[in-house]
Amino acid sequence: MGGCTLRGAPAFPIMGAYFPGWMACALIGVATAVGLRVLFLLTGLDALLSFRLFTYVALGVIAALTVWTLVFGP
Amino acid sequence: MQRIPVSSKKPVGIIIAVLCVGAATAFGIHVAHEDSAHPSSDSGIIDAEVVHIASVVGGRIKTLNVSVNQRVHKGDVLYQIDPEPYELTLRQAKANLDLANAEVENQTRLLSVKTSNAATAGDQVSRAQTNRDLAARTVERLQPLAGKSYIPWQQYDQARVALHDAEISLAQSRIQSTAATTAIGDLKSSIAARDASQAAYDRVRYELRQTTVIAPADGYVTSLRVKVGEVLAPSQSLFTLIADNEWYAMANIREGDLEAVGVGDCVTVHSMIDRNTPIRGHVESIGWGVLSVDSSGIARSLPLVPRQMDWVHVAQRFPVRIQLEKTNPLLLRLGATATVEVRHGAACP
Repeated sequence: MGGCTLRGAPAFPIMGAYFPGWMACALIGVATAVGLRVLFLLTGLDALLSFRLFTYVALGVIAALTVWTLVFGP
Repeated sequence: MQRIPVSSKKPVGIIIAVLCVGAATAFGIHVAHEDSAHPSSDSGIIDAEVVHIASVVGGRIKTLNVSVNQRVHKGDVLYQIDPEPYELTLRQAKANLDLANAEVENQTRLLSVKTSNAATAGDQVSRAQTNRDLAARTVERLQPLAGKSYIPWQQYDQARVALHDAEISLAQSRIQSTAATTAIGDLKSSIAARDASQAAYDRVRYELRQTTVIAPADGYVTSLRVKVGEVLAPSQSLFTLIADNEWYAMANIREGDLEAVGVGDCVTVHSMIDRNTPIRGHVESIGWGVLSVDSSGIARSLPLVPRQMDWVHVAQRFPVRIQLEKTNPLLLRLGATATVEVRHGAACP
């Protein structure tokens, strides 16, 4: 998978400090949730949903966990 | 943007929401379980054993063959302390040893003289015994003659005095013989003195050898900040040698995850000097104890119990020692940050 090319230490150096890999996954999850919301609004899919907050949060969580499993998982 | 009330009941939307939340929850539980079963730490440290290089003898540094950060091999001469005082002490000890050896020979000669003296004294006893026996026989023979006045009484009296003299001589010679035998003695004290001198000599020779300090292992010289001429006290360390034959990573793993860590487990270690090169290692051991604030306090004194009410307790962590396999030496510096992944990661397929 694409995650294989990202293999390396599960910590990222930014300005001399090491940030844990799960923090990057959380950011990807947030970005995915926002991106999906925009995408669904544009395609009209959003109108079908109810409990949107929970749905988008769940989608973001799934995205973050997927990235974690692919990149850092066993 | 039009606001859509949350309470708008659309069956499709509710199903999607329930599916998404359910999937996220299940996935989250799964990932939490996987994470716990494959512990990792991003606060590990690259570690190695160190030797504080020192000589057991003191003195002025005469030659210094290494510089800081230099790599040395086992057996290399690192530095030499001025050996002159120890050479002088060695000469002194050698002279003492020679003296003790000569004393042993002297005592050996004296012993043979005393043995001869004792033998002479023994001969004197037998001579005195013979003389006394003769005097006794003379008295015995003269007694009937003197009783019948065949010989003058004076002659018999002289014979009795001679017997008395002979008895005293015998007693004296016996005492002298005992004294001479006692006086023979033995070589124990001189041999003990020689052994003591030999031990002192060996000790000084050892100290002289210790003026040359050799590398006990392959490694790197660190913390060397002095030049030739520095005076060192005995056992004062001059620098630290980082042993290069074995490298380790130390990672603190939470106590709840320790059951997933077994000795010998494959470990992926990334030295943050190059975060793209995995280093393969295996768990060598798990620490058996850490100092806890709750258990601190002076031994034998009363327990130190702070007054507090904790509802949330942070998990204790124990150091796990990971032995690293051979890798690029540029990645291994003592104290470098390392990430550690037990039983997963790039090096453990």
